[in-house]
This record gives sequence, C-alpha cells and structure tokens, in this order.
Amino acid sequence: MSSALPLPRNTTRQADVALQGEIARMLHRFTGTVIVIFVLVHVIAQAVLHAPALAALKAQASWLPVVQSQHWVHAVLYFSIVFHTLYGFKLLLTEIGFALDYRKALWSIVSVSSAFALRELLRYAGV
Amino acid sequence: MSQTGPFEVAVERCDVLIAGSGAAGMRAAIAAHDAGARVVMLAKGPRRANHTRMSGGRYNVVTGLNPPDSNDAFFRDTLESGADINNHELTRILVDEALARAYDLEEYGLAWDRTGERQYYMSMTGGGTFVRTIGSVDEGIGITEVMLHQMHKRGIRICDFHMLADVMRDERGSVAGGLVMDLAKGVWRYFCSPTVVIATGGTSQLYATSSGPAINTGDGIAIALRAGAELVDIEFMQFIPISFVYPPSARGYTLTEPAHYGMRHFDPNAEAAHLLNNRGERFVLKHDPVRKEGSTRDVLARAIMLEILEGRGTPEGGVLMIPDPQVFESFLRERPIYVKRLLENYGEGQARLQAPIQVMPSALYTLGGVRVDGWCRTGVPGLLAAGEAAGGVHGANRLGGSSMPDIQVFGRRAGIAAAEDAKVQRPSEAAGLAQARARAEALSRPLGRADGIRPSELKRAVQKLMWDHVGLVRNGEKLQETLRAFADLRRDALPRMKVTDRSRVLNREWMESIELENMLDLAEAMAAASLERRETRGAFYRTDYPETDPEWTANLRVRLDSGKLAVHRQPIVRLAGPASPSLKEAAAG
Amino acid sequence: MSEMQNVTVTAEIRRYDPGQDAAPRYERFQVTGPENMRVLDVVRSIYESQAPDLAYQFACRIGRCGTCAMRVNGRPVLACQERCKPEMRIEPLTPFPVLRDLVVDRSEIEGRLEQLALAPVRDAAHPGAPEPIGAELAAKLCRMDSCLLCMVCVSACPAVDQRAFDGPAFMLKLRHLAEHPADRGNRLGQALEHGMLECFNCDVCTQVCPADLSPAQAIRDFRKDLFLGGGRS
Repeated sequence: MSSALPLPRNTTRQADVALQGEIARMLHRFTGTVIVIFVLVHVIAQAVLHAPALAALKAQASWLPVVQSQHWVHAVLYFSIVFHTLYGFKLLLTEIGFALDYRKALWSIVSVSSAFALRELLRYAGV
Repeated sequence: MSQTGPFEVAVERCDVLIAGSGAAGMRAAIAAHDAGARVVMLAKGPRRANHTRMSGGRYNVVTGLNPPDSNDAFFRDTLESGADINNHELTRILVDEALARAYDLEEYGLAWDRTGERQYYMSMTGGGTFVRTIGSVDEGIGITEVMLHQMHKRGIRICDFHMLADVMRDERGSVAGGLVMDLAKGVWRYFCSPTVVIATGGTSQLYATSSGPAINTGDGIAIALRAGAELVDIEFMQFIPISFVYPPSARGYTLTEPAHYGMRHFDPNAEAAHLLNNRGERFVLKHDPVRKEGSTRDVLARAIMLEILEGRGTPEGGVLMIPDPQVFESFLRERPIYVKRLLENYGEGQARLQAPIQVMPSALYTLGGVRVDGWCRTGVPGLLAAGEAAGGVHGANRLGGSSMPDIQVFGRRAGIAAAEDAKVQRPSEAAGLAQARARAEALSRPLGRADGIRPSELKRAVQKLMWDHVGLVRNGEKLQETLRAFADLRRDALPRMKVTDRSRVLNREWMESIELENMLDLAEAMAAASLERRETRGAFYRTDYPETDPEWTANLRVRLDSGKLAVHRQPIVRLAGPASPSLKEAAAG
Repeated sequence: MSEMQNVTVTAEIRRYDPGQDAAPRYERFQVTGPENMRVLDVVRSIYESQAPDLAYQFACRIGRCGTCAMRVNGRPVLACQERCKPEMRIEPLTPFPVLRDLVVDRSEIEGRLEQLALAPVRDAAHPGAPEPIGAELAAKLCRMDSCLLCMVCVSACPAVDQRAFDGPAFMLKLRHLAEHPADRGNRLGQALEHGMLECFNCDVCTQVCPADLSPAQAIRDFRKDLFLGGGRS
C-alpha cells in the first residue's frame, strides 16, 4: 500500500546518464533534416522519371529507381516522418495542458518510429 | 601587497551594519530599512549559505487552531525544556510575537502547509505538550527565498563574500563601525556605522561532527565578546540526537527527532521511533521512562552518546532508529526533502521508513550566545545581536521548532532598535579607522609567513578537543586539560599560522585563519563556563556533577576583563513588569 | 547497509585565477576515500591535503543552499550531491564569469532576480489570520518555491546557450508567483519578456534539477495560459 507511493528521485548520479532532452532534440533535428532533404530530392527525382521534357536525363539516370527502392532509405524515411510528427505532437500537446512524462514519451515515440522502420526493412527484404 | 606602511582599507558608511544573511539578519535588515535606516547586510559567502537555509523550517506558534493550547502553555513548555534558566522576558516575547511573525512570512509569500483553506497543518515537537508546530514543505529554503525577495523589493544592499572581522569602538566605548574582509576581491573594507547587528549564527563548526553550514564558526559571538559585550549560557550547546552517519558530506546533518518518525509526531501519547543499541536494547528507557524516545533533545542526545562511548554502538559509530512505516505517507507529504536525502544517503528501505536508520548525535545549535535585552541590545552602545548568536531565549535546551520564530521575532526587534539607535549616534570616520587598519594588518600577517601551521590543521585540533571534552559529556579534569590545550594553541600555534597562497582572492586558508581566533576565543569561553557550572542541566552534562543542583538555577555570564575571561554567576532574569520602556514601539507586531 | 569500501579516484580540476594566470590550466589529483563519497568530499580532501590554494564554494553540504554547483564531466551538478566517479573532470559552472577556480560570480543572477521583483504584489494587506489558500495549492506553491536557485538548469539549458533566454529557473520563480493567489503581478508578461518562448520544451532542466522540480512544466503552464487564454488557477 504505502510502497506504491513514488519516492523522490535519487539525483546523485546525474553526470552518469545521457540527457534525454538532448537526444530528443538531436533526433528531431535529424529527422526534420531528412524530411526536408527527402521532399527536395523526391520532387526532383519524380520530375526526372515522369516529365517528358527530362526524358534525356531519365535515360542517363538508370540508377535512380534502384536508389528509390533501397530498404534502408525507406527505413530512415519512415522512421523520420513518424518520429518527427509524433514528437511534434508531443511538444504541442504538452503545451496545451496534457501531462506527459518526457522519458516515457520519447522512448515510446522512438519505439513506434522504429517499428515503422522495421516494417520497411522487412518489406524490402521480401517478408 | 607589501605588509609595511598604513594598511589599505576602503571606507564606506551606513546606519545599520548587519553581519549574517540568515533569517535573523534579513528580518533585521527589513525592519531597519522600514524604519528609515540605510542598511548594509553582510553575507560571509553567497547569501543563501546560512543555517536558516538548512533548517527544516518547523515553526512553533500558538495559532488558536488548537484551542487547549495557549501562549502560557508555550511559555511553560519553553521554560521546562530550558530547565528553568531561560531569560523569562525574552521567552515571553518569543511566545507572544511568534504568530504575528508567522503571518509576516505568509505575507512575504510563504504558504504554510494546510489541511484546509484556513487550517494550518500542525504537528508535535519533542518536549512540547500541545500540537502547535507549523511548517512548509520547502522548509528553510522557502523561508530564506521569500525573505530575500523582500530584501530585493526594498533595494537593501547585500554584500556576498563579506566577512565581518571585528567591530571598532570610539573613545566612549560606542560602536564606530565594522572591519570587513571582502573575500571575493581580497580587500579590506571599513563600514563606518553607529550600529552593528550580530546575526552570524552559532558555533556548530567548533565541533568535529556538526549539522550546520561550514561558515558557522561563531565569528559574531567572538567579535561581540572582544568588543566588550557579555556572553550568557555559553556553556550550553544543543546536540541533535539523530543525524546522518554517512556519506562524509552528509555526516552530522540533522534527521530531526525520533518523535518525527513515529505516531508521536501527531499524538503526544503515542510512540516515537525506537532507538536501539547493538544489542537491540531500547536504551532511552533508562534515561526517560516516561516520554521514552519522545523526550527532549538533550536527554536523547546524551543517551545516544553514552551508548556509543560505552561501546554499544554500530561499527560506524551510530545507533539504530526503527521508524514506524505507518507514518511514511504523511512523512513523505510533509518532509519530501528528508525522504529524498534518506533515499540518496541510505537507501530505499530507509526512505520508506521500512528499514532501520543509522543515526548519531551532532552539534546543532548554540543555546547561549551574546547577552541581550528585550530589544536585542547588548551592554555595548550600538552593538546588537539576534538569532542563534544571541543567548537566553531557550535556556538549557531548545524545543525543536522554536528557532524559526526566535529569528523572526528578535531579528525584527534588532532591526527596529538598531534603526532607532542609529538616529542618535553619528560616529566620525576617524573614530574607528586607525583601529581598523591595525586589525587588518594583524589579520593579514599569516599571508606573509614563509613557514608555519596550516589553519585547517589548527581548526581540526580545536574541533577534536571540543567534540571530545566540551561536547555532550564533560568533566572538570578534562575541561581543565582542554583549557590548557587551548592556551597552548593560542600561545604557540595561532601566531604561527601560515597561509600558503599569496593571492588574496577567495583565499580559503586566509578566511580560516581569521576564523581561528574567533573559534579559540569561543572555545575557551565555552570550556571556562563549563568548568564553572558544577551540575548537570538540560544539554549540559558533567560526569563529575551528574545531578541538577537547584542552587545552580542561574546563568553564567562571560566577558573579557583586560583580555582575560571572567565568568560570573547571575540569578535568572524573571519577568518584572512591562517590556523595556526605552522604545515607543508596541511589543505586538 | 553502508558502503565502507575505499576507492581511489582521479580528479582533474580546472584552475584559473583571472588576476594572476594568463590562461586556465588543469591539475590532476588522486583521492582515496569511501565509495559513497561525493564530489564535494573529493574537492575538500584535495584542499585539505594537496592544494591549499584551491578556491571552491560550499556551505550546507546537503543539497539545500545550492552554492556548490559546478560541472563534473561536463554536466552541471551539485558537488555535495553528485557521487564521485573513478575519473572526474571538475570545472566551474558555465556560463557564469569565473572569480577563481571553481567559484563563479553570481551578481548577474542576483541582479536578474531583483529585476523580476519576486515579492508578491498584493492589493490587500495580510488578513491577520491564516490566508485562505487551498491545501493542495499551498503544497504546490511550496514545492515550486523549494527551487535552490543553484543555476544547474540554467547551465544545462540548450536554449540559454543558443537564444535570448534568461533560463528555466527564472521561469519557475515567475510561475510560482503566477499561481500564488495573493500576487497581482503580470508574471506571464515578465516571462515573455525574459525569453519564455525560446524554450525548446526538451525537459533537460527537469532531468538535471537537484530539487526534483520541473521548470519546463512551469513554462508549459505559462504557454497554455498564453495560447488558451487561461487565467489564474
């Protein structure tokens, strides 16, 4: 009964653990960069592949569809889109009054994003 | 940086110079400022480094929320705890003004813990007869913060890293100013001021194991003694019965009282946490079979110390406290900071009050101090004292929770009185400057020495002597031996102190060398007064006089007569008539 | 129950006296002591036996005064609370000016606190009886006011480093008053003025706080008031 009450934190080993907030920010920044680069690259790639005016370029870029179907490219992309979106929601939700524990939120978002990445890996591995 | 020639001292002026950044000093500053004085408050280190900050913030007061309680009952409890040698006038003022000061703190922004919108949460203290202690979960941290903001609001000047080194007097014997060491810059300052308020706290650092902050070396009390003031009850030192045994940094830090860890915290008839020696015996029952572990601090501390000295303690030098797990939930709600410390220093079982907690006594509170009247005035015109540095309020043993109202009540009175006195006196700069320069030069000598003793070595020697012989267990033979040892140190070691570092900026060794003369002055005063009191009373215990002697229902006063310590016995100061008529201000806030 | 094993640890301390030294240098020391000793115990031991000219600050040694804050292996901590490690790099707290060795100048901090005017702005005097404040609110207020102003959060905050933001601690102090029923000050306005919107909402401050507080939550509460137009709770 009273053992269920949470104790205050033991803050005597602060220098021994990573700063979760720094990891979260780095991931958010990295995934954001991935998304921006992806959009640019994707627009250009699709233009090359489908615009009649760029047919000559398309002939030279036979490697392009190969790159587009790489499993790791999809994995990184899906991880990034899911993470960036979910973490963005977390930031917004906490600022309009929803209480979320920062550790649990970060690691569940990482897990969900990793699940999407894993799905892509498996899909392209023919599973 | 040459040591020859006139000594460089920067001169400033103010009306009220307050030494000490704890609640007594801050409350004096606020009151003096509000009375129109130009105030300067000196903090020996950063302004938050003081004993109030470390305090649990428990505040004894008769709020009216517990109808059977009364100011008279609080007065009686204080006298009973003080073994009848309290200064009745001061004690009466304490109990009568505590409530108004509690409301002041609330006005400053401190929200006392509550059970209902207008119902304060109250608990018991060891030795009290009624539930009357209020508090807040932020403890001494909250008290110091709200007061600092009141200081900021008034624009009162706070000087961090400024250590009062001595008080100068003019030819009439009145205060002319204070010599101050600016530790951050390494320069001397002389504050020309008609009044100086000593609010520098107690002497806990004179002991090897203590609960107070590192800066409490009793500087202000020693300065007052040298300036011609009298000390009272200086032989009485309160040891908190239970404190942390480890780690080294936490050793000696108070764990309050066993009453807090049992149902006795709420009910005067219930049990406190049991204390066991290494044989599993409840040894306190030998000393106080009635109140048992709910007894007063003096009885408990002595009982534990004797157990340890007689070899029945734990290997680490403590005894075991068995808390009552039932009180964990309320303990967590009331004292979350303590639960955190228990978790971090001991472990989860101890934090949940489910496992035995190792404890030892430690030097906590200076019961005696500078002798003052109802308005905190000493016998030296312009010199006042308040808080732990002043003596007489608590007698031979202080009730837990009575220090917080003490510092508010008497801090304010000191501020009001100092502002009043400052209007009357107008010292000239010249009055104390020559003395200040000479003293600055003398205190700077350790910097110039090529060879000698390190101050920390000397400090440790004093602390060991005090802990062993002028602590919880004293006797005449050891006291005399110790007085000789102090005399030897003063003659041989003190003049040979050497400060390794030549740089004056934040020179800790230099600060310690300045502290050491104060420590020795007080150590000698405490030992001399202890030798004189031939009985046992409250926190004062002599193995050669183990009984309380009614003939000794008196106070010992100590002063310096031509450089030598003189100890006089005086009958206790009972209440005669109304409070001091020297000020028109009403006693009630 | 007690960890009485002795360990030997190495501490590399940043030494710098601006008045005397051309540049900072690092000095290595070894200290032997109980396993559970804190960084402060190590520093004190070094001062006592090896470096009598070491400048460092501490007072309460039990995590209440907040004056011993310093960086250990790059992380801002309270020296009296942080357990010793086999290898420690000990440096003064950033981003404050160094007075000497491990002691920093707090005048700017105190100046900022004075500027924030954190005494409750009352429109009525104290009633001379217990002020009506709900029990839960009173506990919450006091928990918020147990902030030590140690500046560990300000030192760790990435937004303080990169933006015009005073720091988490100041926001927490403002929030304490915003929630105090007797205060009439415009604490949200002050928070905005002092860079509240620059906060990254990353909770680094929550993680490093030695008093178990969450300045980030105080900021989130301010933001909620700002975005949703909420009043006093």
